[in-house]
Amino acid sequence: MSINTRTRNPLAGRHPELTAPQFKPFGAKKARSGEALAGILFVLPTLIIFGLFKFLPIFGAGAMSLTEYSLNGDFEFLGADNYVRLAEDPNFWQSLRVTFLYVAIFVPFIIAVSLAGAVLLDKLVRFTGTFRALLFIPYLSSFVMAGIIWTWIFSTDGPLNAALGSLGMGPIPFTSGPQLLVLLSLAVVSVWKGFGYSMLIFLAGLKAQPAEVHEAARIDGAGAWKSFWYVTLPLLKPVVFFVLVIETIVGFQVFDTIYVMTGGGPARASHSLIYFLFDEGFKFFDFGYASAIGVVLFVIVLILSLIQQRFFEGKDSK
Amino acid sequence: MTATVSTPAGRHPAGRPAQGPAGHSPRRNTEKRRQRTLTWVLAVISLFTVAPLIAVAVLALSPADAPTLPYALPSSLTLDNIVRIFNVGEFPLWLWNSFLYSAVSVVVVLLTASMAAYALARKRFPGRNALLWAIIATMMVPVQATLIPTFILISKMGGVNTLWGLILPTLANAQAIFLIRQFVRDMPEELFDAARIDGAGEWRTFWQIVLPLIRPVLATLAIFVFLWHWNDLLWPLVVGQSDAARTLTVGLATLNTETASTSNVMAATLVSFIPCLVIFALLQKHIVASITHSGVKG
Repeated sequence: MSINTRTRNPLAGRHPELTAPQFKPFGAKKARSGEALAGILFVLPTLIIFGLFKFLPIFGAGAMSLTEYSLNGDFEFLGADNYVRLAEDPNFWQSLRVTFLYVAIFVPFIIAVSLAGAVLLDKLVRFTGTFRALLFIPYLSSFVMAGIIWTWIFSTDGPLNAALGSLGMGPIPFTSGPQLLVLLSLAVVSVWKGFGYSMLIFLAGLKAQPAEVHEAARIDGAGAWKSFWYVTLPLLKPVVFFVLVIETIVGFQVFDTIYVMTGGGPARASHSLIYFLFDEGFKFFDFGYASAIGVVLFVIVLILSLIQQRFFEGKDSK
Repeated sequence: MTATVSTPAGRHPAGRPAQGPAGHSPRRNTEKRRQRTLTWVLAVISLFTVAPLIAVAVLALSPADAPTLPYALPSSLTLDNIVRIFNVGEFPLWLWNSFLYSAVSVVVVLLTASMAAYALARKRFPGRNALLWAIIATMMVPVQATLIPTFILISKMGGVNTLWGLILPTLANAQAIFLIRQFVRDMPEELFDAARIDGAGEWRTFWQIVLPLIRPVLATLAIFVFLWHWNDLLWPLVVGQSDAARTLTVGLATLNTETASTSNVMAATLVSFIPCLVIFALLQKHIVASITHSGVKG
């Protein structure tokens, strides 16, 4: 989402007008209009694609959420009715609760795992590249693939329950049991699939920390744990915050693993916000209502993005 | 409760002068022990990340009827399952659709995004800043929020269950434009002056000067756009409901819910992962560097 800006030559880069010729050659006006034409032509394909498939749907989502829209294209203006209906729909509150609960499990989980992975890799001297690759590999898989693998791992006759069975326990219904267990299982899959990305960001943050600070902490007698807690972590705070926001947004968008592993069940225990949108839109073809759910998702993500941007603007303008 | 520091390094804080000859100092030894512990811990974590993938491979390559994981290792490995999924059902078609969905998108996104990025960074034209702002603003809107209107639009255009309907809406990639624009903006103006003096036209300047110079960022984007399309589920699920436009992820998800055998599902899963693995094997350094430097979200 957010991207660090790094300018190599600040003058030439940010202000091309400062390095451009100071005198205006003859026929400059004609050149200027030619430049404008070229610019428009170069940007035209993007303008068409974005106009049709980004700008139009964004306004469309807002507009459709105020209507009753049927499959054949007929629609009826409803005003805020869809939002009133949402507020009164227990299924909406259920999906919101599921999503927040999932985020509350998933985000601390993935941060802890990716941070631990990064700290260990940072301390390791040999085989760093090998272990980094081994830890990162699941990131290349799709959530669908991850869901298929872990459905098998979690299944009643899967390896996990086989291991538990040999200890005289189980079988544990990982994906069909109580809600917290199901959401935890789903979080495990997403953490397995996704932590490699955040781990690399953490690793870059750790490598950027000045060695002298850690040396000083050690001279002062701080052990590994204290040094991590009082020196490494405070220095890493901006990176942690960045990852926190990114993974929270990822968490709110959870869908694929649910679609593959639980179908929203058991009994709506994992019926997330996107799953609710998907159901209303493509099972009941209630497009206006589904659009209103999309707008709610947008508002949640927007608030998170704004928090992130506010934070990073403060950091970046030195 | 007082926290006791239990790592070897903690018990021997540095600062104590090194004793004895180099190589046998306590600090050296604790460091060696610490590295060994670290390696073991990481090996265990790697098992957690890699074992599920190995299990997929073993299941995919096991004889279909023999008892196998988790109760026993297969007695022999076979390619039967892989061969079968290529010969029975629509799997090859899904594979082809996924390939087109990913490859066409990579090419078109990279081309249109570089053109736009060049214009937005280097050309003055009316509405430029507004357009740039609008493109960047779309990054704040999650794709799921516009899923319904995009679907309605594509269905009105007659694009449901077609490959073009699948591909078209995903060509709008704001992040690609944003990233490339930073690169083009940082190029020295002298380069473009020289091109102008040499009489290079606009297109030639773009094709022969801009494109070769932004190759690194294009490579990065190609990887991530490919992976993102190859692994995408929600949009293909919505728009590709028949086999004509069904991608691998959608096919896998339906296989998994139908009564397909584990060996078939795992064989298909394994095949779907191979391109990602090949890309990673070839371009690992590039992927790692791009995440750590620019924070590209794949």
